[in-house]
Amino acid sequence: MGLESAGGFFGKSLNGFYFNGAIKENSKLRGQKVLIPLIWGIAMDELVFGAYTPQDEADRKLRVVVRRPLVARLTKDIIETYQICNPQFKYSEELNPKRFLTSPSVGVLNDGYDNVNSDLILTVNFVLINLETQRRYIVKDVLGHGTFGQVAKCWVPETGSFVAVKIIKNQPAYYQQALVEVSILTTLNKKYDPEDKHHIVRIYDYFVYQRHLCICFELLDTNLYELIKINHFRGLSLSIVQLFSKQILRGLALLKDAGIIHCDLKPENILLCTSVKPAEIKIIDFGSACMEDRTVYSYIQSRYYRSPEVLLGYQYTTAIDMWSFGCIVAELFLGLPLFPGASEFDLLRRMIEILGGQPPDYVLKEAKNTSKFFKCIGSIHNVENGEVSIGSRSTYQALTEEEYEARELKKPLIGKEYFNHKNLEAIVTNYPYRKNLPKEDVIKESQIRLALIDFLRGLVEFDPAKRWSPFQASKHPFVTGEPFTSPYRPPPETPRLPVAQNIKVDHHPGGGHWFAAGLSPNIPNRNRVSYHNSPHFPMVPYGHANSYGSIGSHGSYNDNAGLGSSYGSYGDSSNMFAYYSPVGPSAMNMHPQAGASMLGSSPDARRRIMQYSHGNGLGVSPSAGNFAPLPLGTSPSQFTPPSSYSQVSGGSPGHYGPTSPARNSCQGSPLSKMAAAGQFNRRKSWGYSGSSQSLEGPSSSNWQGPVTDGTTSSQAEGSSQVASGLPSHIHSNSNTANWKQQRGSVGMVTGYSNIQNMPSSIGSNVQLQHSAGVSQDKSESSMSLPDPGDWDPNYSDELLLQEDGSDESCITTEFNRGLHIGSADSSVGVGRFNRASATSSNLSIQRQNGPIGFSHAEVGSPPSANDPHPGYPRFMSKHSHFTSHMTQNSPSRLGQQMAPRYNHGRSTVARGSEWNHMKVQLPPSNFNSGGPRSPGNSSFSNGIPWGRRVNHPVSNIPPASRGRKDYGRIA
Amino acid sequence: MENSTQESHLRPDNSITYESPYPLYSMALSSMPSRSNLNHQRIAVGSFIEDYTNRVDIFSFDPETVSIKTQPTLSFDHPYPPTKLMFQPNRKSPSSSSSDLLATSGDYLRLWEVRESSVEPLSVLNNSKTSEFCAPLTSFDWNDVEPKRIGTSSIDTTCTIWDIEKGVVETQLIAHDKEVYDIAWGEARVFASVSADGSVRIFDLRDKEHSTIIYESPQPDTPLLRLAWNKQDLRYMATILMDSNKIVILDIRSPTMPVAELERHRASVNAIAWAPQSSRHICSAGDDAQALIWELPTVAGPNGIDPLSMYSAGSEINQLQWSASQPDWIAIAFSNKMQLLKV
Repeated sequence: MGLESAGGFFGKSLNGFYFNGAIKENSKLRGQKVLIPLIWGIAMDELVFGAYTPQDEADRKLRVVVRRPLVARLTKDIIETYQICNPQFKYSEELNPKRFLTSPSVGVLNDGYDNVNSDLILTVNFVLINLETQRRYIVKDVLGHGTFGQVAKCWVPETGSFVAVKIIKNQPAYYQQALVEVSILTTLNKKYDPEDKHHIVRIYDYFVYQRHLCICFELLDTNLYELIKINHFRGLSLSIVQLFSKQILRGLALLKDAGIIHCDLKPENILLCTSVKPAEIKIIDFGSACMEDRTVYSYIQSRYYRSPEVLLGYQYTTAIDMWSFGCIVAELFLGLPLFPGASEFDLLRRMIEILGGQPPDYVLKEAKNTSKFFKCIGSIHNVENGEVSIGSRSTYQALTEEEYEARELKKPLIGKEYFNHKNLEAIVTNYPYRKNLPKEDVIKESQIRLALIDFLRGLVEFDPAKRWSPFQASKHPFVTGEPFTSPYRPPPETPRLPVAQNIKVDHHPGGGHWFAAGLSPNIPNRNRVSYHNSPHFPMVPYGHANSYGSIGSHGSYNDNAGLGSSYGSYGDSSNMFAYYSPVGPSAMNMHPQAGASMLGSSPDARRRIMQYSHGNGLGVSPSAGNFAPLPLGTSPSQFTPPSSYSQVSGGSPGHYGPTSPARNSCQGSPLSKMAAAGQFNRRKSWGYSGSSQSLEGPSSSNWQGPVTDGTTSSQAEGSSQVASGLPSHIHSNSNTANWKQQRGSVGMVTGYSNIQNMPSSIGSNVQLQHSAGVSQDKSESSMSLPDPGDWDPNYSDELLLQEDGSDESCITTEFNRGLHIGSADSSVGVGRFNRASATSSNLSIQRQNGPIGFSHAEVGSPPSANDPHPGYPRFMSKHSHFTSHMTQNSPSRLGQQMAPRYNHGRSTVARGSEWNHMKVQLPPSNFNSGGPRSPGNSSFSNGIPWGRRVNHPVSNIPPASRGRKDYGRIA
Repeated sequence: MENSTQESHLRPDNSITYESPYPLYSMALSSMPSRSNLNHQRIAVGSFIEDYTNRVDIFSFDPETVSIKTQPTLSFDHPYPPTKLMFQPNRKSPSSSSSDLLATSGDYLRLWEVRESSVEPLSVLNNSKTSEFCAPLTSFDWNDVEPKRIGTSSIDTTCTIWDIEKGVVETQLIAHDKEVYDIAWGEARVFASVSADGSVRIFDLRDKEHSTIIYESPQPDTPLLRLAWNKQDLRYMATILMDSNKIVILDIRSPTMPVAELERHRASVNAIAWAPQSSRHICSAGDDAQALIWELPTVAGPNGIDPLSMYSAGSEINQLQWSASQPDWIAIAFSNKMQLLKV
C-alpha cells in the first residue's frame, strides 16, 4: 500500500521502474540517465558499490547483536554511556520541563493538585492509580474537557493498551453525577449488554485518585461530528447513514429496555470504533443520562437535538432520544444540522417550518414554556370548558418574531438558513447528488431518499407519543434495506390491550376533551404521578426498584391505524379517551382517562405504576447511600435544572427518591390550578406573579411551615405549588439544612432570597447578577423571578452546545445551572442577542465576583488554530490544552465550524489503515471531497491542495494524526 | 564473503580509508571546498572512547587525487563522545572567511572555529539551569536557510533552538513525551524530530503550540533513532527504528502511513542519508556492515523494494554521510575507520 502511494509521488520519473528481485540490468540503469548522472553515469564496475545480491536463506537471518550499535549507545543509552565516560555524570529526569495538559496549570486547590477549576492538573506521564487494584494509568494526552472535568488518553502498562479516562472535577456535585454515569453504564454493560453488541461504550474501571473520581472507558476514535467535518460538511453516503442508523438504534433499543434516557444524544457523542472491522459506532457520554422515572432536569439535550417536549418543558421519556436520533440521521445525510436553532425560539421556528405542524395541543396545554412560544387563540374560557375554537385546528398558535419580541422585549436570535428548501421532503429530495453518479444510481438513491424522508418523519415527530420507538424504527425499510414502497406503518410497540368499550373518540382535533376533565392527557410520567400527595406515596420505595419496569409499555404508541393501544398498556383501559392528534390527523392517541390521576390523586394510576417492578437495579449507584448533599447551585449535570426541580438537583437524594416536585401547574389544590389557568395567556413567570401569588397564599404559607411538614417546596411555574414531599424524604435527605433554607426562602414574597441563600459559592454570583437582572424584567411584576435569560447576561444556551465539548464553559454552565434554581426555564436571554459582547463582558463580571476562577474567560485570547496562517497551515493540536479554549470562542459551531469539539477518541486521521478499511465498504466517492486527490494515496489526506507546495513543500503540512483540528478530509 | 565483496570493488581511484587510533562514531563533511584548495573538502571525525576525554580530528580530502591530508594541528579534545559533528552549511563564498565553523553536540552544544592550522573553541551553549545535572544532546541540526539557527534535541524531551550569533536560546519546545533523539530542519522555521516515544513530529516556530505527528512506530514507544529530511523534496523524510532493519520512508502529506519500508538490511540500521542531488535516492548503513543505496520506485513490487546497489564494509557501520559538495562521494565510519566511497 505504501508503495502504491509512493508510486504516485514519483510518477514524474521517466519510466516506472520496477524492482523485483536482483538488479541485473545495470545497463538499463545507465540508459535511464536518471536524476543523478554523477552517480549512475559511471559504469558499475568502476564503483565501490556493487549490485545488490540478495542473501541466500542461511544468510538472511538477522545477525545476532553482540553489542549495542553506537547510535543506540548515544541515544537510548546515552546516560549509561556518559556515566561510563564519567562516573560523576548526573542526569535527573525530574528536572525535565513538564508538559501540562491541564489549563490553567497552577495548582491552587487540593494541596496543589487541582487548578482553580478543581481539575486535576495533568502532565504528560502523570500516573493515575487505582489504589485498590494497583493498576496504573499513565496519562499521555488530554482528549477533551467538559464541565465534568477532563478526558485523558492513558496507557495501561499492565494490559499494554490505551484507554480513555474521564477525570471528574473534585467537587461533590460532579462526583455524584459521575457516579450516576458509572452506575448507568455499568448496568448497561454488564446486565443488558454483556456481549458488547449494542454500541454502547464500555466502562472498564473506576476509582478515586487524589480526590478525583476517574472513570475508564474503552478508547474510541473520532466522533460523527468530526467525521462530517472531515468530509467538509458534506453529507455521508446513504449506505453509511443506514449503517450508523442501524447501530445507533441498537443502542437506543437497549437504553429503552433499560429505561434510560441518554439526554444528550448528538453527533459528538457518537464515536467511531475502528478497532473492530468493519467500523462501528458507539454511543458515549452518559453524564447527562437519567432513568426514565427520574427525569429530574428539564434543561437537557443540546439545542440542535433538543426535542420539542423538552424545549416546551413537558414531561419526557426515552422518546426524546429518538428525536435527537432523527436529527442526527438527517445531519449525517445533509452534513449540516437539521434544526440549527440559534435560540430556542429559532429552534422551534425551524421545526415548525421544516416539519409542518406543531406540537400537539395536549403537550402545549401542559408544557411549562408554552406561553413563551405560543399564544392561545381560543379563549381561556373555551380552553377551560374544553370547547374548541371553531375554524382552528389548534388552540395554540406559534408566536411570530414580532410577537415574541413584544412579549420578551427582545428580538429572538435567528440563525442562518442553510437549506434552500423549507420542508423536510424538499430538503432531502433536492440535496445535491454526488458528482458523476451514474443515472441509474441516481434513480436508486432517489428511492432511498424517499425511504429516508419517511424514516425521518417517524423520528422527528412532534408528538412524543407517536414518535417511533427504537424497535419500530429499526424495522423501517431505510434501516433494513428493504425496498420502500409505501409509508411505513410500524408494528405496535407492545401488544395491544383490548380496547375497552367506552373509549370515547374525540373527533375534534386539538380537542378539549382533557380540558373538560381539567386535565392534560396523561403522558406516562411517573415522576409526575408519584409526587402527588397521596397516602400511597410513602410506599414508594427509595430504591428505584419501582422505576422503570414499565419499559415498553410506556413509550408505547399508536400506530397510524388509529386506535392504538399505547398508553393503555398501563393506563386504565376502560377509561380511555382517544383523540385526534392535531399534528397527525390520521393518528389517534389513546390516553387513559385518568382524569383524577392527572390531578395527582388517582390511586389507580399511581398504583399501577408502582406495580411495575423491574428490579434491574439500575438505579443503584456503586456507592449507593453515599450520596452527599449537593451544594445548591452546583448542579452536577451539564444541564440546568429548572426551578421546579431545583431542590432535587442532581446527586441529591431526591434524585433517587421520589422527591422531585411536580412541575406542572395542575397539581395540588384547585386553587393553584385556577391560578395557573388565570395566567394562561400571560407570559409565564418564574416564581409567583402577582396574581398567582395571591391565589397561592395558602400554599405559600404552607411552604413556610416547619421543616417537618415534609413539604418539598418548589416553585412550580404558574404558581401552583406542589407539596408532595414526604417526611421520609426529608429524612433521607442529608441536606436538610439546605432544604430548610431554601424552603424558607421560597416562601418569601420576594422570591429572590432563595437564590441568595444558596449555600454554594456560586450563590453569590447569582445574587449579584440576579439583582442586576431585576430591572430588566420589566414585563413582570416585581415579585416574579425573572427569566434567567433576562438577568443573566451570560446566560445562553449556547453553552449547552458546548457542554461536553472541550467546553471550558464548565463554570459558566454550572453557573447557569445555579441560576436556574428558582427559575423554571431557559428563555432567550440577553446574552443571546449579542453573544460575543455579552459573553465577554459578563465573563469579566464573573471574574470579579465569582469565587470560582473563570479560567475559560480567556475568550478570544487564544488564537484559533484554524486561523489562516500565512503559508503554513496549523497542525494538529498536540498540546491540547491550548486548543480547548477555543470552544469558548465558538458559540455556534456553524458560525465557526472549525472550532474543536469534544473528541473522545483519537481522530481518525491518524488511523489511515482503519479508514482504508472502512472505505472498502463504502462508496469511495462518498468521502471524496472533490478536491485533488493525493496521488495514489488511499489513506486520509487532507484537503490542502498539494499543488501549492511546489515552492514551499513544507508549508503544507497536513493535519496530524491525532489532530483535533482536522484539516483532513477523506480522500 | 563481505570482505571479498569489499576487496573486489575497492580501488585507489574509487575509495580511500582513514584510520583513526580510536573507534569513530560522529563524522562531518564540510559543505564546500576548503578555502586554500577548492578541490579539498574538510572532514571531521569524532571518537567514541569510553572516557571523559574524546577527540575530534579534522583532515582534508581531495577527490581529484582521492587523497587525504591529515592536519594534526586541527585535532582537539572533546568532553564525552560527540553525538554529532556538523560544519556550517551553505557558506556563500569560500573567501568570505578564512575559517570554517564546526558545531559539536554532547553534554552541550559547542561551536568551534576551524582555521588554517588551529581550532578555537568559540562557545559552549548550555541552557541548563543547574550545573549539577546535565541532559545530554542526542543530536542537532544546522539550519541551512538561516545559518545562525541551530536546533538541538535532548533526552529531556525538548528541542532547543539557538541563535548562535547572539548565543541565546530562541525557543525551547517540549517536543515529545520522551527523549528526543534526532532533529532535522526542513525550512527556516520548520523542523522535525524523532523520539523515544516513537513519533515523528513536525514543528513550526511560528506556531509553537502545535505539532504534527507524521508517523508513530507501530509498537507504541519503539524509539525512533534517526531522522533524515529529503532536502531535494521536502515531502519526504526517512527514519529508523531502534533494533530494526527497516528504513521507514514517510510522506508528510500522508501522516502515519509510510510510503515505503525498506527492509533489506540484515541487522539494525544505524544511519541514513538522502542523496544531496536526487530526491529519489537514499543510502543506509547498518550493523550488517552493509551500505545500501536505494532508489524509491514508482511502483512497488510484490516482494518489497530491493536496493539499487550495495557495499559491504569490514564491520558494523556506525555512521554515514553523503557529501553535499561532492555528491558522488559517500563517507562511512565503522570500527576505527572512516572510508570515502565513490558512488
